[in-house]
Amino acid sequence: MKRYLIGAISALALTATTVAAEYPEKEIQGIIQWGAGGSTDTVMRSVTPHAEAALGGTVVMQNMTGAVGAIALNYVADAEADGYTVLMGAENPMLYKIMGLGDKDYGEFVPINILARGTPLLVANNDAPFNSYSEMIAYVKENPGTVRFGSTGPGGLPSVVTAMINAVEGELDVIAVPYDGDGPALTGLQGGAIDVMPAVLGAAIEGVRAGNMKALAVFDTAENDKLPGVEAVAEVNDGYNTYLPWGPFFGVFVPKGTPDDAVAKLSAAYAEGAKNPEFIELMEGRGFTLMGISGDEAEAFLSKWQQGTAWLLQDAGLTKASPEEFGIARPGE
Amino acid sequence: METLMHFLTVFSDPQLLLLVGLGTFAGVYVGAIPGLSVTMAVSILISFTFSWDVYPAISLMIGIYMGGVYGGSRTAILLNIPGAPSAIATALDGYPMAKRGEAGTAIGVTTVMSFIGGFIGIGVLALAAPFVSDFALKFQPRDYMLLAILGILLVGSLSQGSLVKGIFAGALGIAIGAVGRDPLTFAERFTFDFRLMEGGISFIAVMIGMFGVSEALLQLHHVDKDAVRQKITRIVPSLATVKKHLPLSVQTSTIGVTIGALPGTGGDIAALMAYDHAKRVTKNPDREFGDGAMEGLVAPETANNAAVGGAFIPMMTLGIPGDAVTAIMIGALFIHGLNPGPMLMIDQPDMFWFIVGCLVMANCFMLLFGLTGIKLFTKIVEMPRSVLIPLIMLLSIVGAFAVNNSITDVYWMLGFGVFGYFMRHYGYPLGPVILGVILSRLLDDNWRRAIISEREDLGNFFAGVFGSPLSTVLLIAVVLIFVSQTPVWAWGKSRIFAKKENT
Amino acid sequence: MQHIDPDHHDGTSDATPGGEPDKRRPGELVFALVMLLASLFLLNSAYGIAGFDALSSPGAIPMATTAAMVLSAAVILWNTAKLPLDRTESLIKDILPLTVVMFALFLVAFGVLLKPLGFLPTSALFLIAAIKILGKRSWLWTVGIAVFSLVVVWLIFRIVFTVLMPAGIVPEAELIQFFRNVFAGGAQ
Repeated sequence: MKRYLIGAISALALTATTVAAEYPEKEIQGIIQWGAGGSTDTVMRSVTPHAEAALGGTVVMQNMTGAVGAIALNYVADAEADGYTVLMGAENPMLYKIMGLGDKDYGEFVPINILARGTPLLVANNDAPFNSYSEMIAYVKENPGTVRFGSTGPGGLPSVVTAMINAVEGELDVIAVPYDGDGPALTGLQGGAIDVMPAVLGAAIEGVRAGNMKALAVFDTAENDKLPGVEAVAEVNDGYNTYLPWGPFFGVFVPKGTPDDAVAKLSAAYAEGAKNPEFIELMEGRGFTLMGISGDEAEAFLSKWQQGTAWLLQDAGLTKASPEEFGIARPGE
Repeated sequence: METLMHFLTVFSDPQLLLLVGLGTFAGVYVGAIPGLSVTMAVSILISFTFSWDVYPAISLMIGIYMGGVYGGSRTAILLNIPGAPSAIATALDGYPMAKRGEAGTAIGVTTVMSFIGGFIGIGVLALAAPFVSDFALKFQPRDYMLLAILGILLVGSLSQGSLVKGIFAGALGIAIGAVGRDPLTFAERFTFDFRLMEGGISFIAVMIGMFGVSEALLQLHHVDKDAVRQKITRIVPSLATVKKHLPLSVQTSTIGVTIGALPGTGGDIAALMAYDHAKRVTKNPDREFGDGAMEGLVAPETANNAAVGGAFIPMMTLGIPGDAVTAIMIGALFIHGLNPGPMLMIDQPDMFWFIVGCLVMANCFMLLFGLTGIKLFTKIVEMPRSVLIPLIMLLSIVGAFAVNNSITDVYWMLGFGVFGYFMRHYGYPLGPVILGVILSRLLDDNWRRAIISEREDLGNFFAGVFGSPLSTVLLIAVVLIFVSQTPVWAWGKSRIFAKKENT
Repeated sequence: MQHIDPDHHDGTSDATPGGEPDKRRPGELVFALVMLLASLFLLNSAYGIAGFDALSSPGAIPMATTAAMVLSAAVILWNTAKLPLDRTESLIKDILPLTVVMFALFLVAFGVLLKPLGFLPTSALFLIAAIKILGKRSWLWTVGIAVFSLVVVWLIFRIVFTVLMPAGIVPEAELIQFFRNVFAGGAQ
């Protein structure tokens, strides 16, 4: 009886939708790789309503945390590739393989939209005995083993930025104090638990504006208009041009094998959503560089990003397995 | 004058008033159901209120927050199943009262005390926020570590019966908290190479299993016994009762605000610490602790509601979240085009006073909804056990799944449910397990941060501890509390008192 | 003498632990032994994380806590072994009566069926079976209560809190979309 009833209702539902049997015919599950309140979460929750409007469907967003985002990545990769399960993630899955965190990365996915890129910023505690990037390098070289850098685990933004500094300036002897995210680390910085922290600009900018911490340098090829007067590392040391511009990114992905129709519709919807003036204002206010790329352009961006970062970490001796093992070519080869 | 206007915004706008009320009402129920958390409700509200103005959105969220923190006590008292981690201590004395048919009194006291605690928290937020946040920033990794050790010493007051069993349970909790990939180095710990263990064990799943499912399994022993009839004639506690507990509630509220204001610690730890404090300072309780002592209700409930105001302190002054809920609220402010950070107080002081106003309003609504509708709630316990037990089990399953949308969490929850059932039978206290899981990360991460900062040098580490007044005070507290739990203390005390009698 | 006040040692509340201070309950010794063995196993596993590498290694705190577990479990085992066995209780009657075993099995079945069958059918089966067995009332009453409470739970979690429980064989998302279309159509 019950089964019959369910069957009847679902048959009814099917006939009702065959009139417009087009994607999306039901709600889409959006899996956010990081916890509620984090930057990936905020970015996704602010762009998706605009994309929903363009798509004419519903996206139910859920946070799935754990194992540095690998749980969410595996969940979506294992889900049916029908366009109804979407991954909303950040850059770090591109490093899972070499960090020994998993055997999957965005190579198993089709990028729907790479929304934006962040710029790393080097900030210091107000009492630190240096006021600029050059002064910091000089100080660290004179006082080895005393300056404390915040870090967020291997493969995180601080580890990449630190590897970059070491590659360009020569090995610096600093203490890397591990935190479980840039929020807690910046809190520690303000309280004097650490002296220097490489963080994404958006996370630190309010603290800098209020004078609670000082900005040493932006990790970019040119000064950032949000922070006039703060030097760009590439202008100080030409060596950085090899690696920059570099930054963490946010993107929306579906598993490979998703029907083209669904990919096209989702891409169009998110491209439209990313053009929303409110969203643009919000992202620019936080110092993010809008990208809004998809398709081949996004694939090219991803593989370039992966090559550069993976080999940087490999050369710094931070990886568990060589990028070579996974066919990640050295940049420029 | 200007600030007063913003403070009064919420009182003068019927729409906002309604939203705060609605939020608080919903919050009480969200908090009462184990597995539905305020964190979850608020993050869903972000999407839900996306297109709204910022004021109504914030009003609703604050209502849910205030109501939810309070609501956790309901199921703790009535069913011995804390609706939220911050209500674990409430169950210790609340449930024995309900077993005597005094659930009405227990809920009444809890409500009034939550109200008082809430107000003290809001008061500190309104009057001393910058000062408190400066103090909170002073906490170094070693101080957080000492705080965690202080927390672990609570095992003593949470283990009625055998202390050794309590220590075992506490250590087990810390080990459970370490399962999965270490968030600092990504090393695998206790995963035994299973991929599904990498994400670790959600502590909410452990809590729901140990308190929810194991309680339901135990209740199966007397399905046929009639439920205890609850007396609900005297709900509002007398002025004398309130007056009697006022000094204690001020002390425990202070604990609540401080712990709440520290980034990384919240109402759950505050409530347990307050319970311990109450046990220490209450000389002659009318009833023993664990047997339905009123003080055992007053302390955790004032503390966890005071922690709400506390959590807003670093959020409003520095843009640093005081707990998980305020972290999401920061995201909400950001989505609504504000820049939550240290400049918020300077650029937009109206927001600060508006939030204070909302909190005050939500606190009043909490008192209102808390003291009414108790009849409906007590009906839950008077439901036939044959329906109640399966429902508790179902809710536990859904709740465990909802925390992180993970079936693995459901399996853990069921496993710990059965395990907890045996633990109860053999006299192992469950509170310390949850305490251990809550404190595990705080202890582990900060110990490592502290020792790495000193390059593995214990000498420098202790030099740091004694070089800072804050660390020294915390260390002395740790030593004193530890000694007070060992026989040396009792022996010393008896010597001193014996001498006094002689002279 | 034979009958012990059930309120005294049924362990219904954490505040009044079910253990008896001066007697050993049936199965308690085995439980204590299992705890000791499990603690030893975990200690070994904690040692495997990083060995005695550094004070700051990810294995340091796990090793310290598992060592504490081993020590306390050993003391508990020793204390328990010294206590006289409570002869008024039996494992089958007081610790693991049939209903408890049956419900534990129900829960296991729930966990196993949840994914393939889906949340709604599994929960319906569980509630109906559980309420029927415990309540011993008519089928109509049982099914009515079960379905009603399931619908309430489902509405709260699935609709209000958008928790996507495994759908299994029930086309939940399509159903919801259908109703959404109906309402959207009605509104136009």
